[in-house]
Amino acid sequence: MNVGVAHSEVNPNTRVMNSRGMWLTYALGVGMLHIVLLSIPFFSVPVAWTLTNVIHNLGMYVFLHAVKGTPFETPDQGKARLLTHWEQLDYGVQFTSSRKFFTISPIILYFLASFYTKYDKTHFILNTTSLLTVLIPKLPQLHGVRIFGINKY
Amino acid sequence: INHIVHNGGLYKRPFNEDFEETPMLVAVLTYVGYGVLTLFGYLRDFMRQWKIEKCQNATEREEQKDFVPLYQDFENFYNRNLYMRIRDSWNRPICSVPGAKVDMMERVSHDYNWTFTYTGRVIKDIINMGSYNYLGFAQKAGTCQEAAAKVLSQYGAGACSTRQEMGNLDKHEELEKLVARFLGVESAMAYGMGFATNSMNIPALVGKGCLILSDELNHASLVLGARLSGATIRIFKHNNMQSLEKLLKDAIVHGQPRTRRPWKKILILVEGIYSMEGSIVRLPEVIALKKKYKSYLYLDEAHSIGALGPTGRGVVEYFGLSPEDVDVMMGTFTKSFGAAGGYIGGKKELIDYLRTYSHSAVYATSMSPPVVEQIITSMKCIMGEDGTTVGKARVQQLAENTRYFRRRLKEMGFIIYGNEDSPVVPLMLYMPAKIGAFGREMLKRNIGVVVVGFPATPIIESRARFCLSAAHTKEMLDTALKEINEVGDLLQLKYSRHRLVPLLDRPFDETTYEETED
Repeated sequence: MNVGVAHSEVNPNTRVMNSRGMWLTYALGVGMLHIVLLSIPFFSVPVAWTLTNVIHNLGMYVFLHAVKGTPFETPDQGKARLLTHWEQLDYGVQFTSSRKFFTISPIILYFLASFYTKYDKTHFILNTTSLLTVLIPKLPQLHGVRIFGINKY
Repeated sequence: INHIVHNGGLYKRPFNEDFEETPMLVAVLTYVGYGVLTLFGYLRDFMRQWKIEKCQNATEREEQKDFVPLYQDFENFYNRNLYMRIRDSWNRPICSVPGAKVDMMERVSHDYNWTFTYTGRVIKDIINMGSYNYLGFAQKAGTCQEAAAKVLSQYGAGACSTRQEMGNLDKHEELEKLVARFLGVESAMAYGMGFATNSMNIPALVGKGCLILSDELNHASLVLGARLSGATIRIFKHNNMQSLEKLLKDAIVHGQPRTRRPWKKILILVEGIYSMEGSIVRLPEVIALKKKYKSYLYLDEAHSIGALGPTGRGVVEYFGLSPEDVDVMMGTFTKSFGAAGGYIGGKKELIDYLRTYSHSAVYATSMSPPVVEQIITSMKCIMGEDGTTVGKARVQQLAENTRYFRRRLKEMGFIIYGNEDSPVVPLMLYMPAKIGAFGREMLKRNIGVVVVGFPATPIIESRARFCLSAAHTKEMLDTALKEINEVGDLLQLKYSRHRLVPLLDRPFDETTYEETED
């Protein structure tokens, strides 16, 4: 039952990414990460951009595609327990505005990183693999798919 | 466009409700706050798993570590990393009658709220801004208490049976006739628990093949009753009549999902005052819609009975409408009458049907006689039938307190949600740390408040909720306001930019997705 809550929303996780100011906070967070990396004197500009891209994609993969379930109890008898946060967004409806935003933002970061690293080969390989790890799980065909049973339960 | 302009003719009095939008900076900082708390939560969980820090949660025994886990540790994440830190603002034990002033047992925690110990001291005379005591009938002396004590010595404390078996006292019959007269309906029935009234009677009224249209922010008892009934549930945006009309039109045009048959019944579930928002339902429009589309209306007046209307008859009287338009009028005795229990009022055939088919009528123990007497005496006092004008004075005092308190808080610069006339005043806090800080600072200054955060409210809308009472004198309110002002300056809670946004322009996302049932 909806114990202790004052609304009839079954899983509040589905609406977190749509709430006011979340996209702005996310963009500011990425910007802050980049500024911190740029301030470290040992990293050149291309290295800082690649590091931003890689760390951002790593964080996004962990929080949206690796962690399953909700950090609070929900009255849906565990339907969302085996779903990652990405699969829970908007109750599984595809192509909503939050999903589009979070698909486009790593791509934009990738463009910027490729530009600032002057399309160097090593940086390219790193950036592209990291982009693929974060884009492929977002495909609608991979909704609920667990390859080789990794992360199933 | 303010939609009241469209349907303004239905309202006989101004309807001022506003929910000021969250300032963007505050929203961003709130998310940063939750993000930092989440990261620290992961760190602490890591330390607990590697035994660097002592784990005080329930865990399995060593020999059971290879079994399928018994405890879901991720679902408990919020509980142990956020809630435990500020847990001392809830479940505070009180040790006196919860009137305008209350005594509380002092407790301290030496291990950051995992366990509490009582110091033995009692904090006396805390101004009580959290109890549902709208008309001030939570008293330990007075006519209600004397009458209840007399009935206790005559009937005893328990009824020892259900209404259908040996538990139907003459006091219950007297109470039901009085409630029917109070509300202006043909007949009424009283139950021992307000939550059970909703959750056990809605299944008796609707079943499979019926449609329930329920407001977004309906209480858990209504949600449970709707789910138990087996009817199809559709949710409309909070107090949004365009959303309700669209749902009604779709329901009548398209019928049931696959078979396209007409719905057997359409029941609209609304509340009089929503206790977490402080908003009042737009009853004239709901009744106009109900009549146009020929559906039924179930009105839950838990917080509004006794608190609204010139003579305290609830939200129907507040809008100047006739109680015959509402098919099922439900309410509770907990809030304004100082007792416990709920009632349902309506046409005689409906109530006679409920007497036989409702679960709580057949299986639940009937109300305790002293509690029944408390309700009878307080209701007669409100109606003026005990020969004094105390009841009317209380209703007027509550209305004055409400207007004064809300006006002063808005002038100070806090963001207050809800209707101007509702005695429930939510004050927005937004950030998770401020929830705990506000509760503790107010207790230090001898004022008891109720604070709520995520997931009970949307993630950025945590609030402190004040419940005003007719028992609060102006001096108490002034003291409380002075302290709230100080705490507001200390915690920087004065976010208001004095831009009023009527409810329809409230920034809900236009499309919301609902859980589909597979």
